[in-house]
Amino acid sequence: MNGSPLTRFGTGWLLVLPFLALVVALFLGPIANILWLSVTDPEPGLGNYAALVTSDNLAGILWTTIRICVITTAFSVVLGYSIAYAMVHVAQGSRNRMLGLLLVSFWISVLVRTFSWLMLLGRKGLVNETLLGIGLIAQPIEFMRNELGVLIGMVHYMIPYAVLPLLASMQNIDTRVLAASRSLGATGTQTFWRIYLPLTKPGLVAAALLVFILSLGFYVTPAILGGGKVLMVAEYISVQILVTLRWGTAAMLAALMLFGVLALLFVMSRFMKLSTVFGGAKA
Amino acid sequence: MSEVAALPGLRLRALTKRFGTFTAAEDIDLDIRRGEFLTLLGPSGSGKTTLLMMIAGFLDITSGDILLDGASIAGMPPEKRNFGMVFQGYALFPHMTVRQNIAYPLDVRRRPRAEIDRRVDEMLELVQLRDFGHRLPRQLSGGQQQRVALARALCFAPPVLLLDEPLGALDKKLRIEVQDQLKDIHRRVGTTFIYVTHDQEEALSMSDRIVIMQNGRIEQVGTPQELYQRPRTAFAASFLGKSNFLTRDGTLHALRPEKIEIAPKGQGQGPNMVSGTIRAITYFGSILKYDVAVPGMDEIEVDVDAWRGGAAMAEGAEVDLSWSDTAAVPLERD
Amino acid sequence: MHDKQFMREAAQEGAKAFKEGRMDRRTFLVLCGMAGIATQAVIAGDAEAAANEIVMWNWGGQSEECHGKAIGDPFTAETGMPLKFDTSGPLQGKIKEMVDSGNVTADVCDADLFDAVALGPSGHLEPIDYDIVSKDRTLPQYALEHGVSIILYGYAFVYDTEAYGDNPPKNWADFFDTAKFPGKRSLYKWANGALEGALLADGVAKDALYPLDMDRALAKIKSIKDDSLYWGSGSEAHSMVVNGEVSMGMIWQNRGRNIEMDTDGRYKLVMNEALAMPGAYIVPKGNPAGREAVMKFIATAQSVPSQLTLLGCLGMTPSNPEAFAQIPEDQQPYAITSAMNIDGIVYNDPTWWGENGGDAVNAFLEAIS
Repeated sequence: MNGSPLTRFGTGWLLVLPFLALVVALFLGPIANILWLSVTDPEPGLGNYAALVTSDNLAGILWTTIRICVITTAFSVVLGYSIAYAMVHVAQGSRNRMLGLLLVSFWISVLVRTFSWLMLLGRKGLVNETLLGIGLIAQPIEFMRNELGVLIGMVHYMIPYAVLPLLASMQNIDTRVLAASRSLGATGTQTFWRIYLPLTKPGLVAAALLVFILSLGFYVTPAILGGGKVLMVAEYISVQILVTLRWGTAAMLAALMLFGVLALLFVMSRFMKLSTVFGGAKA
Repeated sequence: MSEVAALPGLRLRALTKRFGTFTAAEDIDLDIRRGEFLTLLGPSGSGKTTLLMMIAGFLDITSGDILLDGASIAGMPPEKRNFGMVFQGYALFPHMTVRQNIAYPLDVRRRPRAEIDRRVDEMLELVQLRDFGHRLPRQLSGGQQQRVALARALCFAPPVLLLDEPLGALDKKLRIEVQDQLKDIHRRVGTTFIYVTHDQEEALSMSDRIVIMQNGRIEQVGTPQELYQRPRTAFAASFLGKSNFLTRDGTLHALRPEKIEIAPKGQGQGPNMVSGTIRAITYFGSILKYDVAVPGMDEIEVDVDAWRGGAAMAEGAEVDLSWSDTAAVPLERD
Repeated sequence: MHDKQFMREAAQEGAKAFKEGRMDRRTFLVLCGMAGIATQAVIAGDAEAAANEIVMWNWGGQSEECHGKAIGDPFTAETGMPLKFDTSGPLQGKIKEMVDSGNVTADVCDADLFDAVALGPSGHLEPIDYDIVSKDRTLPQYALEHGVSIILYGYAFVYDTEAYGDNPPKNWADFFDTAKFPGKRSLYKWANGALEGALLADGVAKDALYPLDMDRALAKIKSIKDDSLYWGSGSEAHSMVVNGEVSMGMIWQNRGRNIEMDTDGRYKLVMNEALAMPGAYIVPKGNPAGREAVMKFIATAQSVPSQLTLLGCLGMTPSNPEAFAQIPEDQQPYAITSAMNIDGIVYNDPTWWGENGGDAVNAFLEAIS
């Protein structure tokens, strides 16, 4: 059929257009609102942003947040890599069971997990009581209610998010390439470092980005497992909105997070095609 | 035969591979001479790839032994065997350039940089890809990728090169071109090539010897001429080239279509002759194919060089078919 | 501030245990888990206001039943107007957002009195009509222009009798003295109560607390920082104590009662110098039922029977002095305004908190993190 340019443009697009407009409006509207608030509340100007430089408090919160997110990302991705690697290499039946367990963990409330860690690693938790009981330690080890506790809780929560993109990326690897490496004289270790690891790089980057970005928004786990002393930016934003009514500060921090993440994605895109990271095209 | 066994080369002794109750390769005995171009030919499921993977070391053997220059290599991991291998689909490293791909086997052996560079240059020259060293595999055509895979597998001068259907992904015209190049490279490097294919033309045109396999067993081993001229079984006769089958004195014989003389009724002559009617004529450019219905027998196919095809003979014409005594080859029972 | 967390905690599970007297650890954890799941449902909100009904914006859970029984039933009997609930929790930020957006769906908020000070002057609240609401039926300092205290709750602390049995801590000075009373402490994370406790411990007189000397208070807080944990919710405060993470824990007084019961008296509540917090009803500007109707509702809540029902049901102490004498025997040790406790308590200043709360919370967070 020789359609007009309009129909060639695609009736499909026309059908989607109203919804697309709605999504854009619903998505960009609030973001614009946040940006506006960040330069108008409590008074017009860049005062909220200037506080980043002038306030040790804000700098401290941001530093804590970034430090915890980076460490969480590193551990989640490394552990997630091992788990995904194991899943790819076990028999189909075991893999399905492992995947089942992994998915089930998504349904467990973060609060339940957090309190479970307290039961397990708290001052009078199972581990400390056992170690004290057998005389291995004289004082309980402070696993929880500090930054270590926050990291344990967050890494535990984030591992499944790291495993899924890594699993997808590992399953995409042509096993003949690995066999080729062996046949060309590379040992298993050489094959891993020189072939396997580089080929899973898109999965690694995707996992790291996902975990890092999700970690930035973490709230419940740091609040509880940190014993109140580990204040991350998400919790701080929430307090500024709901409690102290410093909406300008909250909007500024939200904008900072948004542009921080966008900048991160931009930098990554300089090194690799993001479409390969997010599974668009195969390398 | 004892002379052959004494020669350096690869020897398979009673090699067997079972997957559970399924026997993928059974009791394979084979001597592969150094420098030989040996083809494993068979339909899919015949065990040819299983055999290749056992030689490469990717599959454990169930029983039997593999000897290289007299020493057993069974149980040795693939990277210790020093065999080059070209995979189906080439299995190039997608994140490495052509140069890096080819240098890989020398890199992992920690050879000096200068030696690696010199060797990679030689290899690029050998496969005529001198200007492509800095491309990534996905920027190459299928034929070029195939040559990179070959260069990579030959780079460390392996005593044996294993090739698993390396031309399978190429179109027909390109295949023939690459066959010639492959054969040429084999002549120049002198490495033993063990080549797996299901394509009989490829096998015939390239091999020093062909191993025909079926159901995990060796059906027949020989030079292309031996196999074509003197197939031992009906399977060998039909898998390699075309064949008519007829029973003489209670024995099944194979008779190649081009070895039959065809003449108008009454003009045929020779020790073996039957009469029939032309049912169909097909023109193939270089040959004419006659399908002749012979009373009391299966339909017989006769191939004649097209330039001498008789214009007098048309579909429906009655003809005499005749052949020499040596043309019909007696077969063993399958 | 996040003191409203107190309301949520009391409403959702504290109240139940309060009535039953105890709660074992497993039940407690199950409840924690449920809270994690329930929160999403609660945030959604579930009532739309109309002119012929009162919508109360509160903290869900048990409070629907308790507010319904204590205030809703007599109010409906008198006026014929039903009481409905939005259980998503009226935090200051949410009230401000609701009024700013012009889509006011609640008539009365179960909030803190300092919220009235924070939101009133900016025009987000209706003034209280003291022709209908009685100034005499609340504590005199807690009848403000934009809010009136209906109940009181308080910050007290519990201590481990096994650690300090022979010489128990008696006041905030002992709480902050980790040399004399070694062991870990837990404090409220959002500054409220913790600042007052620190100043009292540092020797500031009860009646000279306000305006709070922030530097002095924070210095005191920091002096025990290494030995302190900070909680943000009642269940967390509870678990820090009963799981043995701390030897002394600052706590809402009705939670303290739960802990005493829960641990068979191993942990004991100290009500001396407890900080009384005025829980208040405030009305978003332009409430759908109209000002007069909602003022009648608030007046109903001030009545002695309603006040005593709230005490029995939620463990919230009456603000109406007429009810003080009628506090039952078994509630005496835990109620803030009971004859037993009323002389020892310290009154929160909602005006100071309403005007300075934001800065105080941020300064406190900086000090502890």
